[in-house]
Amino acid sequence: MSYGSVFRDETKLDINYTPPELQHRNIQFKLLNEYFRHAIMTPGKMTQRVIITGKIGTGKTVLTQHFGRSITREAQQRHINLHYIHVNCRQNKGSFFLILQKIVAHFHPGFPKRGYSAEELLQTLMQILDDQNTYLIITLDELESLIQNEGSEPMYKLSRIEETRLKESRRLSLICILRELSWLSKLDASTRSTLQNNIIQLDSYTKTQLQDILNDRIKSAFKQGTVPFETVILAAELGEEEDGNARYAIELLWRAGKYTDAEGGKEVAPEHVRRAAGSVYSTMRKDEISTLDYHKKLFLLGIARRFQQTRSAHITTGEAEESYKIVCEEFDKKARGHTQLWKYMKELTTLGVIKAEPSPSNSVGKTTLIGLPRIAAVDLEKELNNMLKSTGEDTSDDN
Amino acid sequence: MIIEEVFSSRGRVRILRILSEIGELNISELARRAGLNYATAKVHLQILKDAGLITHKSFGRIRIFRFNEDNRKAIMIRKLMEVWEQENSGDSKEV
Repeated sequence: MSYGSVFRDETKLDINYTPPELQHRNIQFKLLNEYFRHAIMTPGKMTQRVIITGKIGTGKTVLTQHFGRSITREAQQRHINLHYIHVNCRQNKGSFFLILQKIVAHFHPGFPKRGYSAEELLQTLMQILDDQNTYLIITLDELESLIQNEGSEPMYKLSRIEETRLKESRRLSLICILRELSWLSKLDASTRSTLQNNIIQLDSYTKTQLQDILNDRIKSAFKQGTVPFETVILAAELGEEEDGNARYAIELLWRAGKYTDAEGGKEVAPEHVRRAAGSVYSTMRKDEISTLDYHKKLFLLGIARRFQQTRSAHITTGEAEESYKIVCEEFDKKARGHTQLWKYMKELTTLGVIKAEPSPSNSVGKTTLIGLPRIAAVDLEKELNNMLKSTGEDTSDDN
Repeated sequence: MIIEEVFSSRGRVRILRILSEIGELNISELARRAGLNYATAKVHLQILKDAGLITHKSFGRIRIFRFNEDNRKAIMIRKLMEVWEQENSGDSKEV
C-alpha cells in the first residue's frame, strides 16, 4: 500500500535538525572560526569566550552547532582531541549542577548523579580534560535561564576556572547564547568584563533570506514540485513579520504540509500556510510551555482567561494575579504570593510567551502591563487545560 | 591471581558482567545493580582490580570503576560472557 505524502523527509524540518549548509550566516561562521582559530593552531595556549545574541529563530543554535561540527572535524584531521558540547540551559532547568552533569556525562556516562557539588563537578571536568588531554568548547544555549536561576556565580566560576590553573594547558572555551545582551547586566562586573569582548550579533532574517532558507529545507524535506513559489513567499513573509524568525517559517511549512497530506492534496498551497499560521504558534511554544512548573502554568492560564474577558490589548499585573487566584481555587491549590508571581512573570517574559512592560508614564499610578502578543488567548487556554489535565497533580511540596 | 579466585564468587562475576556491558560505574551504582551491599561490592572490586580486569579513576570523592579494555584476560572474559549469553538465549528459544 502506498502512502501519499508531499514529504520526502519531514525530519529535515524538525527544530533540532542542523542543515549541512548554513544560509546567510557565513560571515558570523567565519568570525566564530576566527575567534577559535587558536583551538586548532595552538591548542592549550589560550581559551576563548564568545557571546552570540539575536532574537528567536535568527539561527543562533544552528550557527553554533554547525560551527561545533566543523571545528571538531578539523581538529580530528589534525589529531587534536577537541570536543564540542552544546547544552541548553533552559532544558536543564537553569541549574549549573545539571548543566555540568550533562557535560561530565559526555565523557563518563556512568558518572553518579548525586553526592557532590557543582564546584566538585567543575573540578572533575577539568581533571577529565587534563587526563584525556582534551580541549573543550561548551555552548551554553539560552543562558538567560542559568543567569536567572543562579545569578552571576556559575559564569564567574566558568570564566575564571582557567585562571586557577596557571601551569596547566588552557582547555575550556565558552560560547554563550543570549536573546538579549541586557541579561549580562545581571552578572557582576568582573565576569562581565571577561565575557564581553567577543560579541556576535545575529540580525533578524529578511524575507529574501528566509526564502533561501526555506528553499534549502524544501529540497530535502519535500518531494520535488510539491511546494510552489507562492507558498514559499507567503511562509517567508509571515516569518519576516515574526521578527525574521526562520524557525517559525519552517514550522509553518511543516504544518502546511501536514494539512496538505490530510486533505490528500499533491501541492502545499498558500492557503495551507495561512491555516498553519493560525495554529503554528501554539505548537511551536508547546514544548516551552509544557516545561513550565505547575503554578506557572496556572498563572499563565489565569492570564489567558483574563484576556478572553477583555477587549484591551493589555492586562495589569493586578488583574493577572486576581485571575490566577480564581484558577487556583478551581484547581484547589494554594495561590503563590505576589513576589513569586512577579518572578513567574519575568520568566514567562524571558520565554517570550507574554510581554511585560511598565505602564506609560502618563497613566495614573505605576504598574506593569502584560500582553499576549503572538497567541490567541483561547488557544493558549486550550493548550494549558490539556497540559494540566495530562500532567495531573502538582508535584511541588507546598501545594 | 588464580582464576578460581575471580570466578568463585557470583558477586564478582555479576560485577564483571555489568562493567563489561556498561563500561564504567561508581561503587554505589554498581552495588545497587549487582544487588550487593556497598562494603561487599568494594571488596569484590578490589579483587577484580588486583586481577587487572578492571581499572579505577578518582574524581575528588567519586571513584569510577571501568572494564579494562587493555587487558587480554578481561577481553576474553567479555567474549566468553557474550558467547554464554548467545548460547543461553538459543537454548531458551529451542525450549
